[in-house]
Amino acid sequence: MQPEQLIEARELAAGYEGRPAISGVSFALRAGERMALLGPNGGGKTTLLRALLGELPPLTGELEVRARCATVPQTERSQLDYPVSALDVAAMGSLSRLPWWRRPGRRERASALAALERVGLGDRAGETFGELSGGQRQRVLIARSLVQEARILLLDEPFSGLDRPSSESLEALIGELAGEGRALMIATHDLEQARRSDSVLCLNRRQIAAGPPEQALTLEVLEATYGGTIVELPGSEHRAILPPHHHHH
Amino acid sequence: MFEPFQLPFVQRGLVEILILAIPAGLLGTWIAMRGLAFFSHAVGTAAFPGLVLADGLGFAAPLGAFGAAIAFTAGAALLRGRRNDDDAVVALVLVGCLAAGVILASDVFGSGSNVETLLFGSLLLVDGGDIRLAALAAAAALVASLLIGQHWLRSGFDPTLPDSSGPSARTFDAILLGLVALAVTAALTVVGALLVAALFLVPAVTARMLTQRLVSWQLLSIALVALEGTVGLWLSVETDAPPGATIACVAGGTFVLVAAGRALRRTPRAAVAAAALGALALLAAGCGSAGGDPGKVDVVATTTQLGDFAREVGGEAVEVDQILEPNSDPHDYEPRPSDVEGAAKAEVIFVSGDDLDAWIGEIVSDSGSDAEVVDLGAEVPVRLPGESSGEEASRYDSHWWHDPRNAEAAVRGIGRALIAADPSQRQTFKRNARAYLAKLRALDRGIAKCIDSVPPARRKLVTDHDAFGYFAQRYGVEVIGAVIPSQTTQAQPSAQDLSELAKTIEAEDVQAIFPESSLSSKVADAIANQTGASADYTLYGDTLGPEGSDGDTYIGMEKANADAMVRGFTGGERGCSPSS
Repeated sequence: MQPEQLIEARELAAGYEGRPAISGVSFALRAGERMALLGPNGGGKTTLLRALLGELPPLTGELEVRARCATVPQTERSQLDYPVSALDVAAMGSLSRLPWWRRPGRRERASALAALERVGLGDRAGETFGELSGGQRQRVLIARSLVQEARILLLDEPFSGLDRPSSESLEALIGELAGEGRALMIATHDLEQARRSDSVLCLNRRQIAAGPPEQALTLEVLEATYGGTIVELPGSEHRAILPPHHHHH
Repeated sequence: MFEPFQLPFVQRGLVEILILAIPAGLLGTWIAMRGLAFFSHAVGTAAFPGLVLADGLGFAAPLGAFGAAIAFTAGAALLRGRRNDDDAVVALVLVGCLAAGVILASDVFGSGSNVETLLFGSLLLVDGGDIRLAALAAAAALVASLLIGQHWLRSGFDPTLPDSSGPSARTFDAILLGLVALAVTAALTVVGALLVAALFLVPAVTARMLTQRLVSWQLLSIALVALEGTVGLWLSVETDAPPGATIACVAGGTFVLVAAGRALRRTPRAAVAAAALGALALLAAGCGSAGGDPGKVDVVATTTQLGDFAREVGGEAVEVDQILEPNSDPHDYEPRPSDVEGAAKAEVIFVSGDDLDAWIGEIVSDSGSDAEVVDLGAEVPVRLPGESSGEEASRYDSHWWHDPRNAEAAVRGIGRALIAADPSQRQTFKRNARAYLAKLRALDRGIAKCIDSVPPARRKLVTDHDAFGYFAQRYGVEVIGAVIPSQTTQAQPSAQDLSELAKTIEAEDVQAIFPESSLSSKVADAIANQTGASADYTLYGDTLGPEGSDGDTYIGMEKANADAMVRGFTGGERGCSPSS
C-alpha cells in the first residue's frame, strides 16, 4: 500500500490579484517523501509555497493539504541582530497553538528543547541565534517547524550558503525527518541535490514536469524550466545552465 | 551634592523621568528591533499641528499632540499596508503634518508662541497632568509588553511564521505604533519632540551592546533611561542648562563610552580609564553654583529691559535675576533650572505681559513661589491693539516699552512693588526712580527732536517683525510693513506677503529696511537687494543688546534705534547721536 497523500494538487492555478503566477500544477506529496522544487527566480516557487500554506486561495483547480504545513525560511540579515536564543526561536513555533495573550511557558520551552535535541542542537539551546553557523540556524528553524507539529515541511533553499559538511549533515537530517513519516518540499537550485530526492517538481510559471528525478529531469525539461541552454560539462556528470539574460564573460 | 533633589520642581521632574523610563526603555527596545527609529522621531514632530490646534482652539496641549500623533500613525499604517518602503511613507506623512502645522500657525491662528515651548518641552515645568499621562503610557506599555510582546518579537523576527488564531499580526503591530505615539506624546513635555530619541532610542541602543537577551535588554534599557534621566536632571540643575538637552547629552555620552569600551574590550584597563575620565568630566562640569545675597530683595525680571529698569530702581538694595539673555527671543524660550529656582526664592517677579513672556506663568506655579507677580504691561498708559487674528491674550501689542512714557509708568510700578517688598529701603528706591525717570523724559525729548528733523514724508519704517508700533506712534513714524507680518517672531512670511511688501517699498519710496539684532537678517537683506533699499541699520526690538554694545541698556537701545532710523530715513546723511 502506498503511504498516504498529504498534499494533492490538480490543475492548480494560483497568483495575485486574480492573475495566475503559476498554472497547471498537478502533483501529490506523500508521507515520507522528499520532493525537490526546481525553477528559476520568478518561476512561481514562492507562489506555490504560499498556496500550500493557505495564504493564496487557488484561482482554478483543486488543492488539498491534509496535514499542517510549516515553512523553514532562509535566514534574513535582520534576524541575526535579534536578541533571541536558539531555544527562543524554536519556541516561537508554539505561538500558533497558544491563546494570543499567552507567551511560551514551561511546557512549550520543554518541547522546543526536545525539538532542538532532535536536530542535534540540544547543547546549543542557550546560544544567540545570530551567532550560530548557517547550518545550525537552518536546524533551529527546522526544530521550530517540529514545534509547530507540522507533518509537511516547506524548505526554502536550505542548502544555499552552506559548506559541504554542513550541507551533508543537513541532508542526512532531512532524510531522517522523511523517515519519520514527514513530507518535505525543498526549493533548490542544486540539480545534484534534486537528483538525490524522491521526486522533483519543475515550475516555470506553469508545471514543466513532476515525478521521480530519473524520469523527470530530462534535458528538455531543464531547458523549459530555466528557459536557457543546458551545457554538458565535459568529463563530469554536471550540467551547467546558461540563463538567457545572464551571459557570463 | 544631592541638594538639587530637595527642590520641589526637581523632585517632580525626577518622578516624571522615572515613570517615563518604563515606556521609554520598554518601547525603545521594540523601536530598535522593529526598525521604528525614524517613526518614533517623526511621531513626536508630527504632533506639531495638534499643538497649534490646541493652542489656537484652547484645548489641552497633550490632547492635541496625541490626536495628531494618532492621526499620523494611522496615516503611516494605512499607506504602509500598500507599500513596503516604510521610511519613505513615514517621511511623506510627516511632511504633510509639518506643512499643515506651519500653515495653521502662520495663517490660520497667526500665533505660535506656545507651540515651540511644547515642541521643546521642559522637565522643570512638569505638572500633575503630565505625570498622570506618563503613568498611563507606562502602564499601557507594560501590560502590552507582557501580553503581546511575543507577537511583536515573532512578527519582527519572521513575518511568515503563522501566529495565534487571535488578532492578526497587523493588529498587534498597530498597537505597538499606537503605544509609541502615546509614550512619545507623554515625553514631549519633558524633552520635546526633537530630543525624543534621547529617551527612546539612545538608551536602548546603548543597552543592546551590553546584553544578548530580550528581557535583560528591556530591563537594562529601563534602568539606563532612569539613570541617564536622573544624572541629566541633576547635572542640568548644577550647571543651569536646559534639562532636556542635558539628558540627551548624557545619553549620547553614555552611548559613546559604552561603544568605546566595547571597542577597547581587549584592553579593559583603557575602557575603565575612559569611563572614569568621562565621569570625572561630567562631575567637573557639575561643580560650581551660586548662592543668593542675604539682605537684598530678590527680584526676577523676565525680559532684558525689565531687568534694566529693576537694576536702575533697585540699585544696590536688590538682587535682580533676569531670565532672558540679550538677543534671546522672548517669543520662544525654554526655562532653565535657575529660572525656577530664582522664581522660588523671589519676593517680586516683574512680567512684561501680553503673551510675550507667557512662559513665566508655568515657572511661577511650578516653583511654588509666593512672590508678588507684577504685570507691568497691564499698568502702562499707552496701549496699541494687538493682532486682529489670534487669542484674546494678545489683545494688545506686547512691545509697549518702545514708548518711553510707558517705560516711565513701568519704572513707577517697579518702584511701588520694591517699596512694598522692603519698606526700609523706601528712600533709596524713590531717589533712584526719580533720577531714572528724569533720564527717561530727557530720552523722550531727545528722540522726538531728532526724528522731527526728518521730513514726515521720509519717516517710513519697514522692519523684521511688527515690534515698533509704539515707537512709530510716539514719534510720528509711518509703519509701512514688516518682513514677518506679525507681532510674534514665530510666523513665516508667504511669497505673496513678500512680493506685496516689495511693491509697497518701491511705491512708497522707502529708503531703508531695518533688520533686528536678535533675528536673522536674511529675508530683510533679500528684500533690500530686490528693492534697492538699504538694510544696513539694525534695530533693537525684543531685547537689549549684549554687554558693551550701544544697546546694552534701555536708554542706549532706544537712542540707538532712533539713530539707526534717522540714518536709514536720510540715506545715511546724519543720525541722532552727536558722537557719530
